[in-house]
Amino acid sequence: MFQMMLSGLTIGAIYGLLGMALSISFYVTRVINFAQGQMLMIAIIVAACLSEAGFNPWLGVALGPLAACVLGVASYFIGVRPILKADRFSFGWMVSTLGFGLVVENAIAYAVGPRSRGFPPLLNDIPIRLGDAVITGQQILALLVAAFAVAALEFVRKRTLFGKVGMATAADPEMAESIGANTMIVSAVTFALSGLIAGIAGVLIAPRTFANPYLGGTFNTFGFVAMMIGGGPENPANAMYGGLLLGVLAEGANSYINSQASDWFPFLILVLVLIVTPRGLFSTSNPLFRPRPARPA
Amino acid sequence: MAPSNIETRTARPSSVVSPERAHAFTKIAAAAAIVALYLIATYYVAWANLQFQSLILVAAIYAILALCLDATAGLLGLFSLGVGGFFAIGAYFTTILSTTYGFDVFALLPLVMLATGLIGAILGATSLRVSGLHFTITTFIFTLVITVLATDLQITNGQQGLLGPNFPDVPDFLAPIGQPIAWCVMLALFAVTFAVWSIRRSLIYPVLLSIRDAEPFAEASGVRAAPIKIIVFALASAAIGGAGWLFCFLGVVSPSQFNWSVSLNVLIMILIGGINTTPGPIIGAAFVSMFPVLVHINPWLQEVLYGILSILAVTIVPDGATGALKRIRARAVRRGLPQARRPESPADSFDASVSVGAERAWLDRLLPAVHSSAPKANALGDAMAPIVDCREITFHYGVGPPVLNRVSVKVLRGHIHGLIGPNGSGKSTLANIIAGRLRQSSGSVFIKGERVDGLRAAGRARRGLRRTFQSAQLTKELTTRANVLVGTYGLVPGVGRRAVIWPLLRSAHRDMRLMTQRAGDALRSVGAERWADRRVGDVPHGIEQLTQLATVWVPNPEIIILDEPATGLTSREVEHLAWILRELKGRGLTIIIIEHQTRFLFPLCDLVTVLNAGEVVLTGTSDEVLGHPIVRRVYLGS
Repeated sequence: MFQMMLSGLTIGAIYGLLGMALSISFYVTRVINFAQGQMLMIAIIVAACLSEAGFNPWLGVALGPLAACVLGVASYFIGVRPILKADRFSFGWMVSTLGFGLVVENAIAYAVGPRSRGFPPLLNDIPIRLGDAVITGQQILALLVAAFAVAALEFVRKRTLFGKVGMATAADPEMAESIGANTMIVSAVTFALSGLIAGIAGVLIAPRTFANPYLGGTFNTFGFVAMMIGGGPENPANAMYGGLLLGVLAEGANSYINSQASDWFPFLILVLVLIVTPRGLFSTSNPLFRPRPARPA
Repeated sequence: MAPSNIETRTARPSSVVSPERAHAFTKIAAAAAIVALYLIATYYVAWANLQFQSLILVAAIYAILALCLDATAGLLGLFSLGVGGFFAIGAYFTTILSTTYGFDVFALLPLVMLATGLIGAILGATSLRVSGLHFTITTFIFTLVITVLATDLQITNGQQGLLGPNFPDVPDFLAPIGQPIAWCVMLALFAVTFAVWSIRRSLIYPVLLSIRDAEPFAEASGVRAAPIKIIVFALASAAIGGAGWLFCFLGVVSPSQFNWSVSLNVLIMILIGGINTTPGPIIGAAFVSMFPVLVHINPWLQEVLYGILSILAVTIVPDGATGALKRIRARAVRRGLPQARRPESPADSFDASVSVGAERAWLDRLLPAVHSSAPKANALGDAMAPIVDCREITFHYGVGPPVLNRVSVKVLRGHIHGLIGPNGSGKSTLANIIAGRLRQSSGSVFIKGERVDGLRAAGRARRGLRRTFQSAQLTKELTTRANVLVGTYGLVPGVGRRAVIWPLLRSAHRDMRLMTQRAGDALRSVGAERWADRRVGDVPHGIEQLTQLATVWVPNPEIIILDEPATGLTSREVEHLAWILRELKGRGLTIIIIEHQTRFLFPLCDLVTVLNAGEVVLTGTSDEVLGHPIVRRVYLGS
């Protein structure tokens, strides 16, 4: 039971990080970046290839998230900005971000081959005993990073000018522009940050998943579920809580129902959550939904 | 009949066949030719080799899916990602029930469509409450759940999937037609295309677009938006389920054919082809489903190329292939006619050449003085019954001070009743409460003596109350005439029911002609008929206001509420507006006006209510109000 909780929380931390990455870019642009999972994937692939080439694995761990960060910015300029510029309330971003993910995924598969490759264990072979349960160094690292990310983002959001400009950009980009905010820079930085978080999540989980170009889709889905369960669109921290809950539920389903239950159980939970509180479990009041366009008088 | 129409028609030289007849004949001939060509093409497909045939049939089924998605996304702005889910239910339901339980496949078709339609209705009812994005997410999750179920359940045989049933053989005498499934698929595509095409030609089309772009306006015109959305989504879902029924005869049914990327591909199809067009989804479906066959390269590069193309499609040509074609054609036409005159855009919309007598005639036709049966001598005590009665209305937004505090206003039948007050005094809020767009916190509203607190905006509109909005709520994509047609919703019955076979119905043609004429009359009455064929997005602000006014009296209402109608009008248009309002009053209408232009308002009104900070200062005649010390201080500024 305790072991299940622990492993649930650690995988949940990864889902939560991804959910947070999704929700911070949503927070500023009101766009769900469906290419987020590919950022996690590219970080893993870069790190795996570097260590395969004989470099110190920790170099890969440093450079992987950086690659994800670059990809995040690219996804903004290619998949999001042109759409929002044309029509801020259209759903074109759904197609363009998924299209961007498709391009990245298959370009990587073409470049490095579609096979799974090994990943250095990093801290994963350091077992730590907690009573009957065992937790690895990597899992502890994941939990620490998750806690740090929640705290740091809360601080940025509430206490810094950047966070406030982000909120302003989300509410009304034209208004934010007119008071002197460069919404393009704000959004690009936000996407860089979300890429970075997804990349970090990638190198944290990679020792367990190995490196495969098609990892992104699954993690994207779970990150999305985490965000929706928690109410991430309102507050990135909620996505982390949603992720932790999702991780525990998925592990619990696997051990108490059957080994495939984690495929469908989270969705069942999500449907129930959305029926009961459409804005997520941890939300207060603010809707996830983009504000109605104020029609010019 | 519009006199103008009669004149132009009788003025034509009469030949053996009347031009109208000849026109109808060409139309029928063209339709027959299209149907014949389509049948020949189907015959060709039904006898084609298997590889080509399955390519075409899969493309045709995707075209059905795309048309159904476009019916919700294009017409109503509901971007569903549930296509894959409904498609899967259709295919699996049919396969399992026919191969495992031996049901007759033809008996299954209505069952499948009923089931998917019901699921669609439930999904729509639960998710459309909140907003568009919530709907998209819910349908996305729906598809995820269905795919996961199809993968994990025993009965669906997991990733391998199931072999679909065989399509029953046709009787021998029908053998020469070729593969029966090809006929079924192609005829289904024809039926769906025809239905969508008909809807775009029916009176429901402007109504649907107004729900999409200007829901408050639709509601204020008596359109109950929520059930219409749910019904359209349920019908589209049923058709998608039917497409799943067709699909299972083509071979193996497995989860990967129905996952959310299928939903997304269908969305890409309509975006590539052109959203809210009839040919667009078909073009898009043909392109997307034939893309892997046409482009023979490394599969990963093929996916990369597909991704790049879909990004380019939504970023560079957001209106899709049909939009691009239209623009190219327009450019070619312009080049062909270098000296073509630009369509005249009169700087002053008000048409001075029209005599007052003619205008009165249009108003007479539009608003036969039915309300004059209402007590004329309303100076008498009995006739003083208020037609709109607000009793002790209090309203607040969440926390904070009340916007309206125990406001009581009685509006008498046949009066023009002014509502004035400084900005933020609660005038528009009161109008919204009377019209049913906002619900008061306490107090009640009586319309024609009936308590209407339980009625929403659409219900009150049906009881003869129409209103305009402070900032015009119209569909920019439609012409001003089509927007006025939304106002006629409810005048003719069964608009929605007849929509899918609209062009085939004689009654539909008649209603269309009558309503178009009414809309034309209404636009003429405000002096904006020269703009009737322009899209609202292309007309100046003043014309938008006039169009809004036309939408309000086109259905011959009893009470109208005008929220700052003179804003954006030139002084001549304001004068004309005052004239029309007097005419309307003479026909027995009750008018409530919110307005800041006191020079326009005071001479017009029988009674004026002054609001300040959410409370009634006084209600009185124009002179009383003008003489009131508080009014002079807070409002008139002297």
